[in-house]
Amino acid sequence: MSSPATELHQMAAVGRLLASVLHEINTPIGSIFSNTEVILKSLEMLGPLLEQDDPESLDKARRIVEICQSLTAVDRIACERIRTVIRGLKTFSRTDGSAPEPIDVNRILLDTLKLTQPELGNRITVETEFQELPDLEGYPQMLGQVFLNLLVNAAQAIHGEGRIRIVTRLEGRAIRITIADTGRGMTAEEQARAFDVGFTTKPVGEGIGMGLAISREIVEEKHGGKITVETEPGRGTAFHIRIPVPQTRSKRQ
Amino acid sequence: MSQNGQSPSVLIVDDEDMVITSIKAFLQLETSFKVYGFCDPEDAVQFAGDHTVDVAVSDYLMPKMNGIDLLTRIKEVQPEASRVLLTGHADKQSAIQAINQAMLFQYLEKPWDNSQLLLVIQSGVERARLFRELRDKVEALDSANSRIKTVQRRLIEAFL
Repeated sequence: MSSPATELHQMAAVGRLLASVLHEINTPIGSIFSNTEVILKSLEMLGPLLEQDDPESLDKARRIVEICQSLTAVDRIACERIRTVIRGLKTFSRTDGSAPEPIDVNRILLDTLKLTQPELGNRITVETEFQELPDLEGYPQMLGQVFLNLLVNAAQAIHGEGRIRIVTRLEGRAIRITIADTGRGMTAEEQARAFDVGFTTKPVGEGIGMGLAISREIVEEKHGGKITVETEPGRGTAFHIRIPVPQTRSKRQ
Repeated sequence: MSQNGQSPSVLIVDDEDMVITSIKAFLQLETSFKVYGFCDPEDAVQFAGDHTVDVAVSDYLMPKMNGIDLLTRIKEVQPEASRVLLTGHADKQSAIQAINQAMLFQYLEKPWDNSQLLLVIQSGVERARLFRELRDKVEALDSANSRIKTVQRRLIEAFL
C-alpha cells in the first residue's frame, strides 16, 4: 500500500521521466520526418528524370537515389534509437515473461567490458578481480544491461584519466559484484536520489535518468538482490550488487 | 565582402550525425546553399574562423560546448552571421534566458518542421547579406569621409 505522498512522488518521477523520454525521441523523430519529406520529393523528381534518358539526367537520378539510400540508413538508426528507449521503458514495466536461466556473472561482466572498451579507450584503466563463482539464476541480458549502465556511468564520471575496478566475490550464499570508479563522486543529495526514476546529473541527450532506476528494478525485483551505492565527492563512486545464489544447485561448472 | 556571386553558406552543428545528414539532404534538395555539417562544436568554430558563414544552426546540448556558447563564439568571428538554435531541450526557461542574452536570430524546436526551417534559414541568409552590405557601405562612407577631411585640411593649410 502506498501513501498519497509516495504516490505524488511517483507521479512527479513519471513526469520527469516522460519529459526526458520525449527529449530523447524528439531528435530521431525530427530526422525521420525530415527524411520522409525529402525522400518523397526525391521520388517525385525521379520520374521525369528517368524519362529523359540522357546521361546528365541519369547521373542526377543516380545521385538522388544515393541520397535516398543514405537517408533510409539514417531512418533505421533513428528507429533503433527510439526502440532502445521503449525497450528500457518495457523492462521497467515488468512485462517480460521469459523463464530464468543460469548466469555466469564473470562471463557477462567480461562481455559487457568488451562492449564498453571502445568508450573507455586509453583514458580509463580497468582492473578486474574475479573469484570463481557458482551460477546465478535469472536473466543474463538484463544483468548485462545493469553492468553496462554502471560501467558507462563510471566512465562518464571520470574526467580525463582514471580507473574502474570490478570485483566479484562469493560471500556466504550470495554473490557480490562491485564496480568502483575514481570519478567525481556524488553529493549527498545526488546519492539520495541516484535510483529515482528521471533523476540525472547528465546533460539531456547523454542520459535520461532511467539507467539506475532500471538497474535497481532488475537487481532487486527480478533477481531478489540488493544494489547499494557508496560515494565520496571528488574521490569516486562504488556500486555494490548482492544477489543470492539459488539454494537447489549452488555449484555448477 | 565576398558575397557577390557566391552561394550562401550554412553551418549545421549537432552532436547527432543523423540530424546533420537529414538537414543537409533537405537543404541540398531545396536550395543551392553550401551546407557544412559538424558534430564537434570546436571544428565548427575553427571553420567559421576562416570561412564566410551566412547562417549557423546549432543544437543546444552537446558534450563539449552548449549551443549558446558555440553561437556566441561564432558571432565573434562572423559578426553578421544569423544564428539559429535548434533544440530538443525540455527545460525552456533557461534556454530562453540564454537565447536573449546571446541575441540569437531564431529558436526552433525538435522535431523540426522542414518548411519552417527553410524559411528561417532563407531569411537568415538575407539578413546576414544585408548586414554585410551595410557594413561595406559604412566602411566606404568612413573612408570617403576621412578622404574629405584630408582634402579639407589641405585646403585650409593652403589658404593659411
